[in-house]
Amino acid sequence: MNFVISSTSLLKHLQGISGVLSTNNTLPILDNFLFEIVDGRLAVSASDLETTMRTSMEIEAKEEGKIAIPAKLLLDVLKNLPDQPCTFSVNPDNFAVEIAYDNGKSKMVGYNGDDFPRTPGLEQSNSITISGEIISNAINKTLFATGVDDLRPVMSGVFCEFSPESITFVATDAHKLVRYTRTDSQASGSSSFILPKKPLNLLKSNLKGDEEVKLEYNDSNAVFTFNDVVLVCRLIDGKYPNYEAVIPKENPNVLRIDRLQFLSSIKRVSIFSNKTTHQIKLKLAGSELSLSAEDIDFSNEANERLTCNYAGDDMEIGFNSRFLMEMLNNLDTSEVRLEMSEPSRAGLLMPSEDNEHEDILMLVMPVMLNR
Amino acid sequence: MDAFYASVEQMDNPELRGKPIAVGGSKERGVVAAASYEARKFGVKSAMASVIAARRCPHLIFVKPRFERYKEISNQIRSIFFDYTDLVEPLSLDEAFLDVTNNKVNNPSASLIAEEIRIRIKDEVGLNASAGISINKFTAKVASDINKPNGQKTIGPDEVLKFLENLPINKFFGVGKVTASKMHLHGIFTGKQLKEQTMGYLTRYFGKSGQHFYNIVRGIQNSEVQPDRIRKSIAAERTFLKDLSTEDFMLEQLDKIGDELEKRLIKSNVKGKTITVKLKYSDFTTQTRSKTIAEFIHLKRDFFPIVKDLIYQEKPKDSVRLLGITLTKLNNEADSKSISAQLKLDF
Repeated sequence: MNFVISSTSLLKHLQGISGVLSTNNTLPILDNFLFEIVDGRLAVSASDLETTMRTSMEIEAKEEGKIAIPAKLLLDVLKNLPDQPCTFSVNPDNFAVEIAYDNGKSKMVGYNGDDFPRTPGLEQSNSITISGEIISNAINKTLFATGVDDLRPVMSGVFCEFSPESITFVATDAHKLVRYTRTDSQASGSSSFILPKKPLNLLKSNLKGDEEVKLEYNDSNAVFTFNDVVLVCRLIDGKYPNYEAVIPKENPNVLRIDRLQFLSSIKRVSIFSNKTTHQIKLKLAGSELSLSAEDIDFSNEANERLTCNYAGDDMEIGFNSRFLMEMLNNLDTSEVRLEMSEPSRAGLLMPSEDNEHEDILMLVMPVMLNR
Repeated sequence: MDAFYASVEQMDNPELRGKPIAVGGSKERGVVAAASYEARKFGVKSAMASVIAARRCPHLIFVKPRFERYKEISNQIRSIFFDYTDLVEPLSLDEAFLDVTNNKVNNPSASLIAEEIRIRIKDEVGLNASAGISINKFTAKVASDINKPNGQKTIGPDEVLKFLENLPINKFFGVGKVTASKMHLHGIFTGKQLKEQTMGYLTRYFGKSGQHFYNIVRGIQNSEVQPDRIRKSIAAERTFLKDLSTEDFMLEQLDKIGDELEKRLIKSNVKGKTITVKLKYSDFTTQTRSKTIAEFIHLKRDFFPIVKDLIYQEKPKDSVRLLGITLTKLNNEADSKSISAQLKLDF
């Protein structure tokens, strides 16, 4: 099996899927890219058994075939080659791979392509087409709120819920929660599943925003098809917590504030907060918001005052400053709204202005003060 | 207490009196937990492999340990302590620190109190005890070894510095075989030589304990006698008759160790965040693998999957003679409380 391909074009495709490669694979063959030539197109796959990504490109080739090529070696050599055509020659008997380029050639030993694990076929699947912009926005807005708890694997992923009216993405680690809903994209029926972090990160880095993404899914797997990429991933098995039930409905204390001002004030004050709790205190009285933090162990403290638009009772509430910063960083509007009820109940953070097709709700649990 | 386990056995069984005995397993893999003074004459020491002990002392009698009984006696002795002070910090079943600065019997002499306690232990329990009396825990502990067995030693405030200067480095409490040989490499053989080193030098080569050494040799130790010492870890481990070579056999054993650990965790009513698996290989090198999770756990069904992951995470480099599971970052530590002030969603 022989083929010719531009070094930079191949590298670009390989880098797109190289995020799938895992450093602690159980099967040695998974440290390879699978190269397959069918009908004059080259398809390259990478897999860690949970997630598989395939990219394809036009090439010059006379015959068809497949071979697994050591991923790290190949990436390293391509990274160091200026743009030029490379000729790959594969010996089907001993799986030796030779790459010939302007200055010389390199040789390595691959594996039989037939030994590469097959990607699961998708039976009885549903399908929906969503714009890449919506998916990448949804990932950006939710991924940071996912948990890392091995005991609650469902919370380590993003929950996707499709209905004829809207599509919703939810992430939570039990301290904070994000619900991102789009009404400009719908599904024909109702369904839901949980996507793991890794494929979401891969989607995030591969989506350009202007493409249409075809998503097919069943109970165990999901397949994303866009541009010349196919991403297949296993879904997280389990029941997602009833997130709607924890979103408080009555929140009479409403703070409206400039997002960037609020964010930079929290950033400064939190420098002086306790290094394990990252706790800061918000004190609301009249139209003034005071932020304060202290670290008793080191006698560090900081206080700032901001003018704001506040309607509600005077109150003091504590939050983990890291959570607030992450959330404020992931909103885009110039003004945000923080709705609260009591110092022991969740605060809701959302953009001040409503967007026609997009609804973002972020929720953060407070830290108890005076303890 | 002097040769505690062995003395208890000799007390309970008159046939063993005056004979060299070792408490511990006699089998191939057994270890001596305690040796009577008769056995010590032959060079039998605690923590020695039973096989070696039997070689050194062919008449050695091995006695199976009865921990319930030791615990019972330990409690008896502790109740004597409590007649003098409430500030009792148990170090093990047979050792404790007592702060008698203000005592219940209004006796201003710590040496006399120690004597009285030792007499009472002899009369009421029937065992010999040794005591060390000094200005801090460290010096008292070192002093208690000087007139062992059945003796006591007082190191008064004006004698402390001189005493520590003349003390060989391996007699320092907290300096074991490894640290001692490291100290020797640095030319430190006595307290005096230790005292000549700067704090910077000691912390550079001995880390955190360097600071501790710097202080104790100057008679400075500000650690109070803590009646209820906070537990920092809970562990269960097991040595096997035969080395285990496959992960499946290891998991089978870890399963039993996990049951035991769960029992201990429930009994002490604590939960922990860091799970550590300890593997001691047939060449006696030890490896630990650990993982910290976000939640405090104490049930086997929660920690065992992590133990499994840790075992499969990397191939054991040799066959294994001992396995153990430890839980640390317990929820009784001070800073864990401030973290729990973070409220959670009610899922």
